[in-house]
Amino acid sequence: MSTSCGNPTVEKDALMPRRRKFDRTKTCIKCKDNQGNVTIRHAVYCKECFFPMLNQKFKRSLEPTINPIPDGPRKKNLYPPGNLLIAFSGGLGSTVLLDLVHKGYVASRKPREDADAAVRKKDPKNEMVWKEVHVCYVEVCGAFPAMRDRTEDVRRVVESYDGFKFVPLRVEDSFDTKWWESVGGKPDKGELRVDITNEDLILLPSSNATSPLSALHTYLSSLPAPTAIPTTLQTLTRLLLLHTARATSSSHFLFGTCLTSLSVSLVSLVAQGGGFNIKEEVQEDWGGEGGRQAVRIVRPLKDIVMKECAMYAWWRGLEVVGQEVWPDARQGIGGITKDFIVGLEKDYPSTVSTITRTCAKLAPKETPAGICTLCNRPAQGHVQDWKTRISIRSLSPSLASPQQPSLAPYLCYMCHTTLTSKSSKKPSSGSSSAGGEEGNEVPLPLWVGARVRRMEREEMRDKVKEFLLDKEEEEEGYAEPI
Amino acid sequence: MSEDQILLKVEFGGGLELLFSNEKKHALTLPARVPADNSTSPAPSEKETKPLDIAYLIHWLRDHRLKERAELFMENDTVRPGILVLINDTDWELEGEGGYEIKDRDEIVFISTLHGG
Amino acid sequence: MPRLCALCSTQRPILKRPKTGQQICKDCFFYVFETEVHNTILEAKLFQPGDRVAIGASGGKDSTVLAHVMKTLNDRYDYGLELFLLSIDEGITGYRDDSLETVKQNQKEYNLPLKILSYNEFYGWTMDSIVEEVGRRNNCTFCGVFRRQALDRGAAMLGVDHIVTGHNADDVAETVLMNIMRGDIARLGRCTAICTQGEDTIKRSKPFKYTYEKEIVMYAYFKRLTYFSTECIYSPDAYRGHARSFLKMLEAARPSAIIDIIYSGEACEVGEEATKELKERKTCKRCGYIASNDLCKACTLLEGLERGMGNAGITDRGRKQLEASGPTPDGLRTIPFFQMNASTPTDATSSVTTSGQGSGARISPVVDVSAG
Repeated sequence: MSTSCGNPTVEKDALMPRRRKFDRTKTCIKCKDNQGNVTIRHAVYCKECFFPMLNQKFKRSLEPTINPIPDGPRKKNLYPPGNLLIAFSGGLGSTVLLDLVHKGYVASRKPREDADAAVRKKDPKNEMVWKEVHVCYVEVCGAFPAMRDRTEDVRRVVESYDGFKFVPLRVEDSFDTKWWESVGGKPDKGELRVDITNEDLILLPSSNATSPLSALHTYLSSLPAPTAIPTTLQTLTRLLLLHTARATSSSHFLFGTCLTSLSVSLVSLVAQGGGFNIKEEVQEDWGGEGGRQAVRIVRPLKDIVMKECAMYAWWRGLEVVGQEVWPDARQGIGGITKDFIVGLEKDYPSTVSTITRTCAKLAPKETPAGICTLCNRPAQGHVQDWKTRISIRSLSPSLASPQQPSLAPYLCYMCHTTLTSKSSKKPSSGSSSAGGEEGNEVPLPLWVGARVRRMEREEMRDKVKEFLLDKEEEEEGYAEPI
Repeated sequence: MSEDQILLKVEFGGGLELLFSNEKKHALTLPARVPADNSTSPAPSEKETKPLDIAYLIHWLRDHRLKERAELFMENDTVRPGILVLINDTDWELEGEGGYEIKDRDEIVFISTLHGG
Repeated sequence: MPRLCALCSTQRPILKRPKTGQQICKDCFFYVFETEVHNTILEAKLFQPGDRVAIGASGGKDSTVLAHVMKTLNDRYDYGLELFLLSIDEGITGYRDDSLETVKQNQKEYNLPLKILSYNEFYGWTMDSIVEEVGRRNNCTFCGVFRRQALDRGAAMLGVDHIVTGHNADDVAETVLMNIMRGDIARLGRCTAICTQGEDTIKRSKPFKYTYEKEIVMYAYFKRLTYFSTECIYSPDAYRGHARSFLKMLEAARPSAIIDIIYSGEACEVGEEATKELKERKTCKRCGYIASNDLCKACTLLEGLERGMGNAGITDRGRKQLEASGPTPDGLRTIPFFQMNASTPTDATSSVTTSGQGSGARISPVVDVSAG
C-alpha cells in the first residue's frame, strides 16, 4: 500500500494542473483600464481597485452574521444585540482586521443611540453599529523565557485608532483568580489539580496556592509532547478572549483569521483529532447556555488570502508589531501544517480555498454528548473507550476506580490527546519514574475547575452516567449573570 | 555611476527585516551583468553571464546581507513560499518573477506573510 | 534493575511500540497487535460465521501480514470463516511477477486456496502496455480503477461474501488528508469507513484500519514472514506523495497523529447540502459494474486506451472529449459483463474455472476469462 514520498516543491507530476500566475493580460480586471499591480488567485487588480475589492469581501462575510437571525444576503438593518470584541495579536491578519473594522464601522460615526432593536430599525449609517468596541490582546511571553513583552507596542497600535477600548491580558491569567472574578467567575473554594501522568487524568484537590505564572509553567512543562504547547496556548488564549467577550457584553467577537490561516487551522484541527469541531473552527456561538447572550465568533477575513492581507498592510502602511513566532510553534502540529500548506499552495494555488470549501460541506456525525470543560467546544463522549479499543495500553481493564474523580470524561478527544499523547522525542518513561509525586500535580485553568465541580454536583444529584448535561445548566461558577 | 553598474533600492517588510540586521531599507549598487549560475562570490571572468535579475538579487542578498536563518528567506533557489516580492510597487508575478531584469533605480520590496497571525 | 515490559512487567522489552511509545516484549507485542485487529473486527461486526472471505493478496507486507493475522484470529476465536487468497496480476514486469511468487508461497504456508486474475485477461492490457500508451503521469489512476473492479470480479468468481484488504492506518489517514486537500467529497464520506458496501458490490473491509504501518513491518519481522518489499516501478501519484510526507512529519512530531486523523475522519460526514451534489449511482451500460455515468470508470478508461486517447478517461472533461469524438467503434475490446453471484459455486476450486460473467452481455467479450 505504500507509496514513496515526493518532495512537494520538486515534483511536477500530479493530477492537479499547474497554471500560470495570471490570466491573459496584465490589465486590472475591475476597471479594465489600469495596469495591474497585484495578482490574487489569477485575477489581476490595480492598486485603486484592490482596496474596494478587499473591503467588499470583508463586509460580505461579516455582515450576514451580525443580526441574531440572519435575514438573507441583502440585509438592511444591522442591530447586533451587544458590543464588539476584536481579538488582536499584532500579527498580519488581526492588524488588517483592526483597520478594516475601524474604517468600516467606527471612524467618523456617532455614538450609537441606545434604543433596542425593535425600535431602532433604521441603522443610520452615521451611527456606530456596535455601541462599544473592545480590542483584546493576550500576551504569551510568560510562557517562553526569552520572549519580549509586546503589550506596549500593541497598545500603541490600538490607541492610534479612536473609538477602541484596549483590554490587555496575559496568558497566565487563565490561572489567576483575580482575572476569573473580574470576568464574573465565582471565587473558587480551592482549585483543582490533575495528575497528568495517567490517561484517566485523576483529579486532586489543590494542595498549595501558587502564582498564576508558576501555575502556567507547571502546566506547560507537564505536557507530554512539545506539540502540545502551541495547541495549549491557543486554547488558553481563546478561552481568555471568550470570557472577556462575555464580560464586555459583546455579542460579536472577531478573529483576523484569513483564508490561508483558516485552511491551516482546519487541517491542523483534523490532524489533532478535532474533526468534530470543523464547524466551530469557522464560526461558533459560545456560552449561550442558560438563556444567556451567546458570543458569536466570526472570522470576517475568511475569504481573503494571506497575500491580500500583506498587500493591504503594506500599501496602507500598517505597522505589524506581533511578528515574532512562538519559539516552539514550528514544532507544533499547527507549525508543521502551516509550512506544508504554504509550500503546497505555491504549486497548487487553489489548495487553501479547496480545503475551506471541503470543510464547509462537512457536518458532525453525531449530536454532541456535551461541552468539553477545557476548550468549551461540543464534544463526543466515550473518548477513552475508543482509545483503549484502538491501542491497548494495559493488559488489565482501566485502573481508575469509579470513586476517583477524573478529568478524562469531561474532555473532548483533542484536549484529552493534547494532555496525554506522548512525543517520540521525550522518553516514554513509566508513569512513576518521571518527576516526584508533586511534580505530577498540574493546576488547571480556572474555568475547568468551575465546570467540573458543577458537573460533579449534577452527577451526584442525578446519578447520571452521561458525559455531560446540556440542559438545565446552572451557571458555571458565575456569581451573577452579566 | 558607470554604465555597467545598476543602482537599486531594496526594502524588507512583514518581519523579514529581522533577518537582515533589522534594517528595512538597503541601497545597493550591483553589476549590470552577473554570473548566469547566480554565484555571488568573486569569480573568474570567463564565466557565462546574464543581465542582473531578481533571481541573482535573491542570491546576492542571502550571501551578502542576510544575517541569520537563510532557510526563512530562501528555499529551492528562490524565495521561500509565503514571501511576496514587489517590483516598483507591482507584484513580481506580473513581471516575470525571478527572470525580471533589474533596471537602474528599481525599487524591490520583499514582504513576509509568515510572521504572526 | 533491568527495565521490564510496560504491559506484562515480567519480560524484557525488545521494542518501542510506534503507536503508544510503550516499551514492550515480543509476546505482548503480538498479543496487542492481534487483539487490536480482533477488536476492530468485533466492533464493526465484520463477519458472520460461515462467511466466505477473500484476502486481497499482493505479496507485499500489508497483505502478507493480513493473511497471517486473519488465519490466526479465525483459528483462535473460531470466526468460522472460509478464507481465500485473491491476487491481481497487473502485468508489471520485474515487480508483480516476482511478488506473485511470494503470494504462492503464502498459499502453501497457510494452506489457503489462491486465485490469480490478470489485467491482461480482463482488460486486454497490462500495466506495462498501459504505461507505454499513456506515460507515467496518470498510470496510478488506471491501476487503481482496474484493480478495484478486478478484485470485485475475482471475488464474484470465487463466490465470496467479503473482501478484506491490507489498507492500514497510515493509508486511511493519508486518504483523509488528501480528500480534504483535494476536495474529494464523495470519497471523504467513505474513506474512514471500516467496511463499505454498495448495493451491488461485494463487501470490502479494512481490518488494519487502526494498525500502524510501522507495526505491520515489525510484526512481519518478528514473525519472520516473507514478503515482497520492492516499490512499484511506476511513479506513484505525486499528490499522494505530498500527503504521505506531511503525514510522516506529523507522526514524527506526535505518533498519535495517525489515529487522531482517523478519529477526525470518523467524527464528521458529508452534510445534507453537499450530499445532494453527489452523483447518483448507476450501473454501467456496457459491463454492469457500478458507475456514476453511463459508463463505469474502467470502461471509460479502457475505451480511451483502445481508441488511442489514453488519458481521455481520466477527467470529466476528457470523457466528454471522448464522447464528442464520435461513437464507440465496433469491435472494440470491452470488459466482460459483471453480475454479482452469477453462479453459486460449490467449492473454491470449481469457481476458479467457472467463468463468472452472466449471459446478459450486450457486447460480447473479446477477452476470454479463464482460470489464472
